[in-house]
Amino acid sequence: MKQVEDSEILEKFSNEKTRNEAFNLLLTKYQQKIYWHIRRLVIDHDDTDDLVQDVFVKVWKNLEKFRSDSQLYTWIYRIATNESITFLNKKKQRNNIPLDEVSGELTDTLVASEYFDGDKLQMKLQKALLTLPDKQRLIFNMKYFDELKYEEISEITGTSVGALKASFHIAVKKIEAFMLNDDVTF
Amino acid sequence: MENNEWMKGNFPGETGFTTPENYFAELTERINSAVFIEQMKANVPADKGYTLPDKYFEKLTSAVLAKTIEEQPVQQTKVVKLWHSKLLKYASAACFLLIAGAGLYFNNQQYQPQPKEYVEIAGEQMLYDIDEEVIIEHIEASQSGQTKSSAEDEALENYILNNYSQNDLVTGL
Repeated sequence: MKQVEDSEILEKFSNEKTRNEAFNLLLTKYQQKIYWHIRRLVIDHDDTDDLVQDVFVKVWKNLEKFRSDSQLYTWIYRIATNESITFLNKKKQRNNIPLDEVSGELTDTLVASEYFDGDKLQMKLQKALLTLPDKQRLIFNMKYFDELKYEEISEITGTSVGALKASFHIAVKKIEAFMLNDDVTF
Repeated sequence: MENNEWMKGNFPGETGFTTPENYFAELTERINSAVFIEQMKANVPADKGYTLPDKYFEKLTSAVLAKTIEEQPVQQTKVVKLWHSKLLKYASAACFLLIAGAGLYFNNQQYQPQPKEYVEIAGEQMLYDIDEEVIIEHIEASQSGQTKSSAEDEALENYILNNYSQNDLVTGL
């Protein structure tokens, strides 16, 4: 199925008669990408479900104000990223967890999750990712899993390309050290 | 061959291109990291491990649409202007003025401040209603009261002068 262009979605959305159709097209095109983007950050499916819905409701309410000075998908990603980071910070505050302590609770969630059936290696990778600070993990996810360009990640996060490259490089070194810790080779 | 020699003669060695500082020192490390990433992708496919409930994305679409497109708009109550025509507006203003003017007029009619003469007439009327003999007795009584008191004073004075010496009067004071 041919994916519709963002410009077409925006054009249809600007017309009141075709607005609903435009939003349906947008949902079809982006809901899975945004779901997985959020899921890799917050781990739990139910939390992800709530956040994804919040993101698309915000998109619906604000799309007519969207200025085309950035790409549509980077704008949606930005909303999803902000919602996820805000959620994680609130969760830590609610449970009196220090903001710099990242791995413990999410790792527990991952291990206990009914919606994770990966093998030992996949579990190890996810645990390795959870040792990274939230923002570093976010950058790694977007580069590694979403295969976004540094310029696109820069638009989403507001961080310079140079800083992103440095952050990603550090993240890779940490994950490499974690993965090789038990002499697991592949 | 001649071209090659001409090139080497005119553009020896340096190309003019430069690299960032410490580029080659960091390059090896970056290549190793890139190789590691590629190996990881091959052995641990992205998003393998995470699962979803059945038909999740269909349900997600319905849930989002219910909160956006399908959300019922707030019913707006129809507003009917009270004065939808100029004629009605002016007629209402005229009626109001008429009623207010009539009210003021009748209010003035009911309340009349009594003139001074009327107060005097009323006083006279009250006196007229009292019996004459009563009035005369009252006047005589007030006059005799005054006379009586002066007579009493004179008698007292004579008594004191006749019965007390000057010396007694001085010591008494």
